[in-house]
Amino acid sequence: MRPISKSLREYGRGIIGGLLFSLPLLYTMEVWWAGFSAHPLHLILYVIGTFAMLLGYNYFAGIRHDANWLEVVIDSVEEMGLGVLISAIVLYILGRITFDMTPQEMVGKITIEGMTVAIGVSVGTAQLGSGDSDTGEGASKRKRTGGGSKNVHFGGQFVIALCGAVLFAANVAPTEEIVVIATEVSSWQLLAIALISITLGSIILYRLDFTGAQRLAPEPGAIGIIIGSVINYAIALVASALILLFFGRFEGEALIVCVGQTIVLGLAATLGASAGRLLLQSQ
Amino acid sequence: MKKLQKNRVEWIVFGVGLVLVVSILAFLTYDAASLGDAPPSIEVRMGAPSQVAHGFLVPVTLINHGDQTAEGVAVEVVLESGGAEKERAEFTVAFLPRGSSREGWAAFQNDPRTVERVKARVMGFEKP
Repeated sequence: MRPISKSLREYGRGIIGGLLFSLPLLYTMEVWWAGFSAHPLHLILYVIGTFAMLLGYNYFAGIRHDANWLEVVIDSVEEMGLGVLISAIVLYILGRITFDMTPQEMVGKITIEGMTVAIGVSVGTAQLGSGDSDTGEGASKRKRTGGGSKNVHFGGQFVIALCGAVLFAANVAPTEEIVVIATEVSSWQLLAIALISITLGSIILYRLDFTGAQRLAPEPGAIGIIIGSVINYAIALVASALILLFFGRFEGEALIVCVGQTIVLGLAATLGASAGRLLLQSQ
Repeated sequence: MKKLQKNRVEWIVFGVGLVLVVSILAFLTYDAASLGDAPPSIEVRMGAPSQVAHGFLVPVTLINHGDQTAEGVAVEVVLESGGAEKERAEFTVAFLPRGSSREGWAAFQNDPRTVERVKARVMGFEKP
């Protein structure tokens, strides 16, 4: 049995994390609008997708490293509930939900904001702590992510990179700016953005000695670096495309505009994916 | 299976979280099932005109009875006397979600209470 004071501290960290990571979204008009214009089926898919990411994140990088799947599920439900609650309170004090609105509008806004807050809660609980997490963490974590310095488990890396990409990219994805940039830049500039994204990703992962980088990539050869960076960028692009698709940014756009938006957002997603892989699991 | 290490507070948080998540999913499912595909259908209601320091105001309420949100709803209010247009006012409502209502005012220099007819209509809107 965990002492109550410790649980409270964990929830406190989660709440602060949720606010830190998702405040930009709570302050973004386009997200409020998406809350009432999105079809309820999209919102359901969004909730399910977020829950899947929470499960993955809690399993691979969460705070209870000796946890079984049941505990991971319970934690994910708690985080999602906290996310929804925080989102409702913040939206209310910001005057974004009022009691004369239709329930559809209120629930839509709370849901769409709450999901990002939930990921923030999850990351905050696991990452903002000073190490009073459950004992035996180091050992079991290494086991979980696939063993010490070499052979970092691909599935775990993938999930964490995806979470990082979504967490970062979601902050800018719903804004009008992505479409504006995508329609106004030339294809050469898009190419430059793509190359810079890949380069930044590889530098973050392999060159800057961020915490955790050693464990992730001991000393890869040139080919290893290229493969790693490309996979990283691919994850980032998939994350961007999914988020844009969800916010209806592809509707009625020419193919080049869709690709452009994905690449423009891909820069943010790459930063999230690569930094996420290092920072979100760097205890 | 290993015994869960949870204290009372954690079970309460879990319970509240579960209730919130399940009720949101239930509500969204109900909403998705009962939602049709009708385009925005906007009713325009006018209230009683009032005089202010620099003219006259006619309150206008817009209600969207359709199944989709309307963006940039342009509203036109016209004062008519003897079959001729006397004065025209326009305003735009940024968003009108389905089932929701928004209020605004049309502003005039002539007193709307002295004309024969006050007509209001929605001129157009975008799909968000």
